[in-house]
Order: sequence, then C-alpha cells, then structure tokens
Amino acid sequence: MADITYETCPTSAPFFGFMGVTAALCFANIGAAYGTAKSGVGISSMGVMNPQLVMRNIIPVVMAGVLGIYGLIVAVIIQGAITTPDNTGATVYSSFTGYAHLSAGLCCGLSGLAAGMAIGIVGDAGVRAVGQQERLFVGMILILIFAEALGLYGLIVALILSQQSYDCSANGAR
Amino acid sequence: MSDGGNPFGYEFMNFQRLLDIPMDISPYNYAATGTGLAIALSVVGAAWGIFITGASLLGGAVKEPRIRTKNLISVIFCEAVAIYGIILSIIFSGKLNIVAGNAFTNADWYSGFAIFNGGLTVGGCNLVCGICVGIVGAACALADAQKPELFVKILVVEIFGSALGLFGVIIGIVMTTQAKFG
Repeated sequence: MADITYETCPTSAPFFGFMGVTAALCFANIGAAYGTAKSGVGISSMGVMNPQLVMRNIIPVVMAGVLGIYGLIVAVIIQGAITTPDNTGATVYSSFTGYAHLSAGLCCGLSGLAAGMAIGIVGDAGVRAVGQQERLFVGMILILIFAEALGLYGLIVALILSQQSYDCSANGAR
Repeated sequence: MSDGGNPFGYEFMNFQRLLDIPMDISPYNYAATGTGLAIALSVVGAAWGIFITGASLLGGAVKEPRIRTKNLISVIFCEAVAIYGIILSIIFSGKLNIVAGNAFTNADWYSGFAIFNGGLTVGGCNLVCGICVGIVGAACALADAQKPELFVKILVVEIFGSALGLFGVIIGIVMTTQAKFG
C-alpha cells in the first residue's frame, strides 16, 4: 500500500469551519423567515374578523424567531472555535475540527429550516382556525411545540458536534 | 495509480488534493466575492420586500387612503436591511490590501475565507429577512385598511422578522474581526 499522508492542519481547514457558521445561520434564518411570514399573513387575515385574539396568536411568530436564535447560538459557538494561524504563521485549526464544525452548522441550519417551515404552515392554519373557534388554541400550541422540538434536536446535536476539536499546537492537545 | 494488492485493481492515491481544492481560488477572490455578496444579496432582499409591500400598500390605499403614510414604516424596515448590507460591505472592503508578490500566508488564506463567509452570511440573512418583512408588511397594510387597530399588533410580527437581518450582521462582524491582509 503506498504511503498516503494527509496534512492534519492544511491551510484550507478554516474554509470548512466558516461554511459551517454560514450554514447554521442562513438556513435557520430561512426557516425563521418562512415561519414568521406565513404565520404573519394568517394573523393579519384572522385579525380582521377577531381583533382581540391577535396578541395571543403571535405565539407562532415568537416560536419561529426562536429558531433564528438557535442558529445564532451555534454560529457564535462555532466561529469562536475557529482559531487564527499562530505567530509562526502555521495553521493551528485542523481539518477534523473544520469538518466537525461544518456538520454542526448543517445540523442546526437544516433542522431549523425544516422546523420553520412546519411552524409556518401550522401557524397559518392554526391562527385562522383559532379565529373562528377559540377552543382550538391549546391544540395549535401543542402542534407548534412538536414542530419547535425538531429545531431543538438540531441544536442539541450541533452543540455536541461543536465540542469535537483537535489542535495542531505543540502538544497536539484537544 | 498502481495495483498495490487491491482487489479492485486500482488505487486512488492522493486525497490530499481534495484538501487543497479551496486553495485553487485566490484569497483576493474570496474576500472580494464576500464583499460583493454582502451588498448584493442584501439589496435583493430589500428590493424584494419593498415591491411586495408597496404593491399591496398602493392597492389597499385606493379604497382607504389613510393607510398610506403609516404603512411606509414597513418599507423603511425593508430599506434597513439594505443599509446593513452596505455598512458591512464597506467594512469588508476596508480590509482588502495587496500582499507583496502574491506570497500568501496562512493568515491571508484565513482572512479570505472569513470575509467570503461573512459576506455570504450577511447577504443570505438579509435576503430572507427582507422577503419576510415584505410579506408581513403587505398583510399589515391590508389588515390596517380594514381595521385600524390591527396596525400596531401586526407591526410586532414585523419586528420579529427584522431581527433576522440583525443576526446576520452580528455574525458577519464577529467572523471578520481578525481578518486582515498583508
């Protein structure tokens, strides 16, 4: 078998880490924006018939906004761990860490996207239904909580993945 | 590519090449593309939101002219997204410098990647924020035309939407604080 060697800390390693940051925030924001917009349109239509219920029915919008916060949390954590090259100019950030951060960002971002779409569609249908039948409010909240949990799963896995790291410092410590 | 005792009869020997693919593009290109994306995608988001809101606002104001001044605030929320983009792209463009002899160090490559992804983050988040605020603003204008008390309540939804653009700005700034060329 020929001798295959890979550089542990190549110069291109931060590229993957930064793509993880971008993925986490941009995809989660797409989900949050979809949830906010779809629910907002539902609230506006419902409010014409039933104005006093509008403030209670802003809950789907808040839950969609929380998905954006999850993306922000993961993005801040990942980008804090992307280390600059040290004084001698050598890269300290390894490909292992870069790929871990990329996967963490994709986990959180795409889960947030999916959860945001669910919250948007359920929120839109839910607030329009609650406008006509107030007893449906608790049911709508329960469905929204299940949808929000999907984004939370992505956040949890992203936080676990972002703890994986390997440094090319003097002793190669974690 | 030699046999090497492999039952498949061939062996792909150099995966190191995959790690070097991001470095086929110069750091100047990464940084400049990031700067461009920050402003370009933000403006696309702002424009998209403004035309969605504006069309509904003008249509609703035909029957209810009183809504036209108050609902300009939705248009201003969309414009703010473009302002974030221009501020960030001016900040990023200030970091572009010539490296003598194109002898890039690891720190220069790091800076290129950071500015590219910073610009992409800012642009992407502002794009979706602008569209979201535009859609909600359109709904707000039509609801306001029917019941004036709904305006302030739906504005709360727009404020949640505009927070998304701010997240992108925060991360864009934090990512590129240590990026410098030369």
